Amino acid sequence: MLYALMGLGLSLITGVLNIPNFAHGALFAIGAYLLVTTVGLIGNFWLALLIAPLGVALVGLLIEYLGIRRLYAAGHDYQLLFTFGLALILSEGIIVIWGPVGFSHLPPPILRGGVDLGFTFYPKYRLFVMVAAGLLILATWLFLEKTRYGAIMRAGIENKEMVSLLGIDIHKLFTAAFALGAYLAGIAGALTAPIRGINPNMGVDMLGIAFVVVALGGLGNLLGAIAAGLLIGIAQAVVAAYWTEASTAVIFAVMALVLLIRPQGLFGIR
Amino acid sequence: MALLETKSLSKSFGALAAVKDVSLGIAAGSLHSIIGPNGAGKTTLFNLLTGTFPPTSGRIFLDQKDITGTPANRIAHLGLARSFQRTNVFPAFSLLENVWVAAFACGSSWQGLLWRRTDRYPQATERARTALSDVGLLPKAHVAAREISHGEQRQLELAIALAAAPRVLLLDEPAAGLSPEETRRMVALVRALKGRYTIVLIEHKMDIIMSVSDRVSVMHFGALIAEGTPAEIQRDPEVRRAYLGGIAA
Amino acid sequence: MNRATIAILVAVVLLPFVVRPVIAAEIWLFAIFGLGLNLLLGYTGLLSFGQGTFFGSAAYVAGWLLKHYAINVFFALGIGIGVGALSALLVGYLCVQRSGLYFIMLTFALNQLFFFIAYQWTSVTGGEDGMPGVPRPALLGIDFKDPLAYYIFVAALFLISLWIMKRIVESPLGRILQAIRENEVRAEAVGYNVARFKLLAFVIGGAFSGLAGVLYAMLFGIVPLEAIGFVSSGNVVFATLIGGSGSLYGPIIGSFVFIWLSESMSVIWTRWPLLLGVAFVIVVLFFRGGVVEAWSRFFAWRFSKQKA
Repeated sequence: MLYALMGLGLSLITGVLNIPNFAHGALFAIGAYLLVTTVGLIGNFWLALLIAPLGVALVGLLIEYLGIRRLYAAGHDYQLLFTFGLALILSEGIIVIWGPVGFSHLPPPILRGGVDLGFTFYPKYRLFVMVAAGLLILATWLFLEKTRYGAIMRAGIENKEMVSLLGIDIHKLFTAAFALGAYLAGIAGALTAPIRGINPNMGVDMLGIAFVVVALGGLGNLLGAIAAGLLIGIAQAVVAAYWTEASTAVIFAVMALVLLIRPQGLFGIR
Repeated sequence: MALLETKSLSKSFGALAAVKDVSLGIAAGSLHSIIGPNGAGKTTLFNLLTGTFPPTSGRIFLDQKDITGTPANRIAHLGLARSFQRTNVFPAFSLLENVWVAAFACGSSWQGLLWRRTDRYPQATERARTALSDVGLLPKAHVAAREISHGEQRQLELAIALAAAPRVLLLDEPAAGLSPEETRRMVALVRALKGRYTIVLIEHKMDIIMSVSDRVSVMHFGALIAEGTPAEIQRDPEVRRAYLGGIAA
Repeated sequence: MNRATIAILVAVVLLPFVVRPVIAAEIWLFAIFGLGLNLLLGYTGLLSFGQGTFFGSAAYVAGWLLKHYAINVFFALGIGIGVGALSALLVGYLCVQRSGLYFIMLTFALNQLFFFIAYQWTSVTGGEDGMPGVPRPALLGIDFKDPLAYYIFVAALFLISLWIMKRIVESPLGRILQAIRENEVRAEAVGYNVARFKLLAFVIGGAFSGLAGVLYAMLFGIVPLEAIGFVSSGNVVFATLIGGSGSLYGPIIGSFVFIWLSESMSVIWTRWPLLLGVAFVIVVLFFRGGVVEAWSRFFAWRFSKQKA
């Protein structure tokens, strides 16, 4: 579920802006850290869940406005270097502000404990995350499919020249898309915090997975990213039950396998 | 005996039939033109002949051998070379380097691919220089391709095709975007190549077609609607209709 | 001998007296790494963001064999080059079918695969702690534990690598790769199997990266996890871009800049990667074209001032 969120956000950014966003993982991590800090400050998990991703979206906005905007014509290698440099700055920045040791963070009291599913005890919080992420994906999907702004974004993925010829400010579109992608990463991070605790490396781990999701789902193919994200999440859960250590490596192996058979990804068009 | 032949060649992109059941025979040493309104499928036909994509159905024969489905990078080695409608060169290379790359590809051997210096291939270099001089660009051999004029780039376009020492030249609108003076020079060039090569020419400018072609085929909406000598085509009512208002005589 | 060659030879001779031999060796081996990447990036136009895969894999395999099987130096080099080339073949095969953003993302994702394997396979790689204890065996009686002796070894290998790369870029292959960069469609049309040539470029680049990896393992005696990670991949991209991807010698300059930057920053602050990130950002925003271009722009400016 979370993978689908991350994949969706990254697919949006790569699809609309056509740049490789290597800072996406760092945005995820910031979301988690902001959540923990906000909860520490105001004591309310739910409010923090609302605020923290907005903070990440703000960061995303600034990044796009101050940096990426200048680089659209620069070519992928410089864009890559830029987002990579950002990723370094952000992840090291996290260590500077919050220290190198991670935190664990308990879910809010209502969501502690497990639910008896008959064959196993499933943590309540994880259920909540599944539901919340699912709702978010649905909400984002509806936004993109049903609203005018969403349609503009999708058009931007297909054909940027057309969109700007239609009189829409392409720069605002890019900023909005990046901010939305950042928001999705941020809330994914915020939701993750109580599951496995947070640490400065969580961004890098997630980055690779997000890229796999987008590669499998097709660049700019938002539905594909969602589907691929779910698929990978399930695959990982299944493998984790039998061979825990390999569970993350399996994701990449699956990707390699799929690409061998279908170079365009599961849903890409070629 | 046709050197290049197609039998019921068709290509569809989904619901769009770009080329419909085209059967053509091109005699060795002749200059065969293909004309038709925009969107008639002429460039798609070229793409099929050069292996850019495979046909949906039908076959292509070169010298009686079935070459259908051969990928683009092998077609050049079979003796079919093509120039493009929109200039498609290597911008940062000098003119000589542009042509050399094509000459080397179809050269007799790739020995020393990784370690021999490029100036130690006399055969390829000689062929490259000949191709450049054939089109009149030899004096500018060391100028970068992106720095020459549009007209000269069209000449370079032609030279790259020549460098492969092909048997068949497929020329896609070589005079596209040229001034009248440049067009005259291009026509003289094409006429000079007649006989040395079998040429298939796509063009819009009627005076070129009429003055150099041995045979003309007319395409419309992907299908062949007429074929014959230039004089026959000029008189054909079907052709007149297709061009909506007649061809400039 | 042209000026660039003379400058490099002078640098090779003088460097260990300007900086510590260990750092000097690091500069040359990183330059080998950069040369490999630049064949892909500068010449073929392929932004491979996963060179760490080949560098790290070679370092781990060779390091393991050196440590547990006491193989000799030449064998280690051979293994490094072989592993680098082989891993590049695998990765390249999957990646050359795509282009643009997709290609970049794939090289990265596959890099992460190798990274995770290295991370989890702690029995062999030591996971986060890295693989310590890689020996530096003697060669023909020369004791490489002496930093200066090892430096000469690395520098010699660098010069050989540079010569090989020079031959390659001046060969038809070099021109074909550049043709692919300039116009892939036309390159295919004139008769080159573009995918196969890209794969060849990958393998060569991987071989160079692998050599750099082995030398690294022997230099520091340890293979850290970062060697195979995306930071390693990113560093070499940075070094190549800042040196200038348009020339053969760009990666060499880039190596100097990068090693100098990282060494000087690491003593200032433990969190120096942050500064490195800032450096990346600054380079991208202000120094595109790399040092080579900035240098020529600077000279042009100076020259115009002199005239006026």
